[in-house]
Amino acid sequence: MKIAKKQEADKLTLTLVLNGRLDTTTSSLLAEEITPEALAEINELVMDMAGIDYVSSAGLRIILDAQKKMNQKNGKMTLVKVNGPVMEVFEMTGFSDILTIERA
Amino acid sequence: MRETFQKWLFVFVASAFLLIFALSYYIQTDQAQKSAIGLIQLKISDAEQQLIAARGNLARIEELTRSIAIFKARAFARILDEHPEILQSQEELEKTRLFLHVDEVHVSDGKGILIASVPAAYKGYNMASADQSAEFMPALTDPDFALVQKPRAKGINNELFQYAGVARHGTPGIVQVGFQPRRLQEATRIADIHNIANAFRIGIDGTVLLCKGTQVISSGTKKLSPGPITQYGVNSSALRQKKPFTLDINGEEYLGLAMPFAEYTIVGILPKKEMYLSRNAIIFILIVVNLILFGVVFVLVSVLVQRLVISGIYKVNDSLSMITAGDLNEKVNVHNSTEFSSLSHGINSTVEALKQAISDAAARIDAELEFAKAIQFSALPRVFPPYPDRTEFDIFATMRTAKEVGGDFYDFFLVDQDHLVFLIADVSGKGIPAALFMMEAKTQLKNLAESGMKPAAVFTEANKRLCANNEHGMFVTAFFGELEISTGKLVCVNAGHNPPLLRSSDGRFSFLKFRRGLVLGAMENTRYHSHESTIMPGDDIFLYTDGVTEAQDVKGGFFGEDRLLDTLNSLPPETSPKESLSALQHAIDAFSADAEQADDITLLCVKYCSPAGKCLELDAVPEALPKLLSWLSFNLDKAGVPQTGKTRISIAAEEIFVNIAHYAYVCPGGKAFIAFDDKGEFVSLTFTDAGFPFNPLEHKMPDVTLEADERTCGGLGIFMVKNSMDSIDYRYENGHNILTFQYKKNRA
Repeated sequence: MKIAKKQEADKLTLTLVLNGRLDTTTSSLLAEEITPEALAEINELVMDMAGIDYVSSAGLRIILDAQKKMNQKNGKMTLVKVNGPVMEVFEMTGFSDILTIERA
Repeated sequence: MRETFQKWLFVFVASAFLLIFALSYYIQTDQAQKSAIGLIQLKISDAEQQLIAARGNLARIEELTRSIAIFKARAFARILDEHPEILQSQEELEKTRLFLHVDEVHVSDGKGILIASVPAAYKGYNMASADQSAEFMPALTDPDFALVQKPRAKGINNELFQYAGVARHGTPGIVQVGFQPRRLQEATRIADIHNIANAFRIGIDGTVLLCKGTQVISSGTKKLSPGPITQYGVNSSALRQKKPFTLDINGEEYLGLAMPFAEYTIVGILPKKEMYLSRNAIIFILIVVNLILFGVVFVLVSVLVQRLVISGIYKVNDSLSMITAGDLNEKVNVHNSTEFSSLSHGINSTVEALKQAISDAAARIDAELEFAKAIQFSALPRVFPPYPDRTEFDIFATMRTAKEVGGDFYDFFLVDQDHLVFLIADVSGKGIPAALFMMEAKTQLKNLAESGMKPAAVFTEANKRLCANNEHGMFVTAFFGELEISTGKLVCVNAGHNPPLLRSSDGRFSFLKFRRGLVLGAMENTRYHSHESTIMPGDDIFLYTDGVTEAQDVKGGFFGEDRLLDTLNSLPPETSPKESLSALQHAIDAFSADAEQADDITLLCVKYCSPAGKCLELDAVPEALPKLLSWLSFNLDKAGVPQTGKTRISIAAEEIFVNIAHYAYVCPGGKAFIAFDDKGEFVSLTFTDAGFPFNPLEHKMPDVTLEADERTCGGLGIFMVKNSMDSIDYRYENGHNILTFQYKKNRA
């Protein structure tokens, strides 16, 4: 999995463009991007899921962790361009209820 | 050498013998001649002396006879003077004759007429009537007259008779006595030169001749007939010289020497045969003694040379032959003389130096061969398993090179995900050229195969390229197989290689024989044809080089195809390629025993496990996940599961596997076995591990309705599996956790 970072001009919004599989072996890559330090300055985290068609529980764990961190600082997290198979997982696990999701 | 030596020794000895013989002959001949001449001279000289002595005696006896005759005549004259009456009586006269010891007495008157005579018949004879008696006539006038006549032959007996006469005393007349001079006669006979020759012998058959002029007048042998001596080949002038000459008497040679004596010539002759008798005897003895002597010298020198030199040389030669034949450990040990000791030492040192040089060279060659071997090996894939994540097939290969580098090689590679190529080959020849040719062949075959060509085309093209660059006329036999993993389709090409073995569904191996093409590298325009067959999961393909079938035991017997077949058939079908090759290698080793391996032994075995690798063994660690997903993806594609299903199954598999990886084992090294099954409508996956018994289905399911901040992720994975798969089942058997889930392929 590859992750590209985009910081908006106001530096309050961080966009992570994910590409590949978000599974047990790759989830740690995402975890490294959402450390408290990385999220300290922002109030909105955007994950571009267009390139992701596979999310396992390990991936869900990181996403949930990110959501919790953003919730704590009263920030906002949005998953954008989520495609079918991934949406299926979110729905199955009830994540669709707690995440802000924009479907592709 | 011995023959040469003996030849020269013989020449030398024979020359010495001939020289001594010639010298002795010359000296002895000379000596014989000289002694013969001496002998002849001695005899001639004796004859001369005797002749002189006889002549002296004769003169003295003549003188004595004359004196006695005169004395008797005078005595008779005195008797008549005193007793003239004697004349009257014939009887008295006879007495007087007897007294005087003469044969005749005669008395004449003053006129010379005999008046008294004994014998009486002469009475009246006139002395003047005959010359002989007339010589006494002066006595008639001279009273002192006295005459003794020389002896003359007389009468019918022709005996010598001598007369002496004196003048008569007192009255004129002649007084005469006549007698036979016997002593004189004897002396004359003795002094007669004609008898000299008879008295002398020279040696045995030699004699003395007496010649007058050139006429032989007397000789001591009857072999000589009277006549001129010149008839015996003697020059008359030779008689006048004091040099020896040669006579040929009735074919026999004589040595002659002449000496003049008065009007004669005394000649001594001696047969040359006799003259050389002693010489011949000496020469004969000399020959015999010399022959023995030289024979002994020849044999002695031969034996000594044989002992001291030739036998030494033979020993040295024997050792040298062994050394030449390759036994450099042979030592020359001839020490019976300083020279041979030195020679032995010299040869031994040379051989030592040679040994060192050879071992140095051998070490260099070994290094080169090692290098060639390194080339050969470096080109071969030697990491097994070569494709750990490919469970559809199992492949193993070994190559054991002979002492000399051969040209065997094997290769295998995936030309794409579904095609496995494997090949085995044997390059003609050995050593570095074979190794280099092998490299080229291997590279060409791989390049062509990877370019996507069909097997037959690969060989056709590779052959073309190998021919183009083949100055040494090398070639390679090769077998090329391409396995389509997904279908089991096997396409083979054989370029003059041993037919491989195939284990078919009945579990037995058989030779995969089909039309073989020409070896690669031989003819540029050779076209190769492939052979197609389909093999079943579980089948083995076994490739080998002729080093296997031609492996020899100590008696020279071959391992052969039958033994190869039997060995492989004795292995159970589930035997892995690695185990098969190991078992075969053991069988070959047991067969060869102590015999040296003559050729490379190369083996390659491919086991076709399944079209899509239905079983997978993984280390139970999260890092093995990509292998699992890749294997699963391949199988799902094969099974025709749509993308949605693929994702769902993959996620489920990941969750189960990660669970095992994280929790099943306390100690590292645990394994997880995953089996895929395509059941037509469904596909199933079974996970097996030997970890703690754990039934994930009994795990408390997470509450998926909580707010984000209250959520945890525990059990989320299993929850997903449960919800996404069509069925899930867990059991614990024989210490193993076995979890199976099924998914309906065409679910929306």
